[in-house]
Amino acid sequence: MEIDVKKEGKAVIISLTGRMDAVSAPPFDKTVDDFIEQGETYILIDFRSLECISSAGLQSILALAKRLELMNGTVLLSDLNGAVKEVFEISGFSSIFTIYDNLDAATASA
Amino acid sequence: MPMLHIILPAKMDHLKSFIQSLSGWLQHNGMAAEKIPRVELAVEEALVNIIRYAYEDQTGDIELRGDVADDQRFVIEIMDSGAPFDVCTLPQPDIHCSVRDRKIGGLGVFLIQRMVDELLYRREGGKNILTMFIGRNNGRFSSSRPDIHAGA
Repeated sequence: MEIDVKKEGKAVIISLTGRMDAVSAPPFDKTVDDFIEQGETYILIDFRSLECISSAGLQSILALAKRLELMNGTVLLSDLNGAVKEVFEISGFSSIFTIYDNLDAATASA
Repeated sequence: MPMLHIILPAKMDHLKSFIQSLSGWLQHNGMAAEKIPRVELAVEEALVNIIRYAYEDQTGDIELRGDVADDQRFVIEIMDSGAPFDVCTLPQPDIHCSVRDRKIGGLGVFLIQRMVDELLYRREGGKNILTMFIGRNNGRFSSSRPDIHAGA
């Protein structure tokens, strides 16, 4: 999985490409840990180019959300497609996260 | 109909090899393209469970077999010689609670159950054998719980 990061206003935008699985989730955890340690609490994850996500990926997203909630921070998700969207729906994650149709809508809310 | 048969050590380094071989075999045998990511996900979740938990501090192998049954269903078997682990008896996670109350973990097996049409577990000859049945076609992920049977 490729992880691309940019800062826009107060948001850190993390764009994911490929597969988010048990192998690629730990580097994602490390990336967000580094940003949180730098004081970032507003994180937007762009799923547009993510092809699939496993339970390991879901756990990473949930752990991030739990951590940010304790810090009064926010995690926003955008552009879920295909298998990723369906896994979010099946696992109940669609109803516990704020999900935008696209990155522009998510950044506009920042 | 060529079968799929791979045996590799239960290491995260081999996850990609398992999934790539599976994916190629599914394509070659005419699994509907939109179903392939779902089958990959089910198998990946099962493999990751074995890699993480089956052998504890020991080393061991995972055997992945695939075949197409007479009724055209794909049959995938995943075998390990680790600690007995019947995925079919695990409790379902609560998928309706908030971020704060939601437990981390317990989703892998839940996803396997949703991705396949039928899931069977049996312990045989000191091995855990997980068998998945998946139809070649039909649409999206099933929204209801599939038939789950504990094997003999």
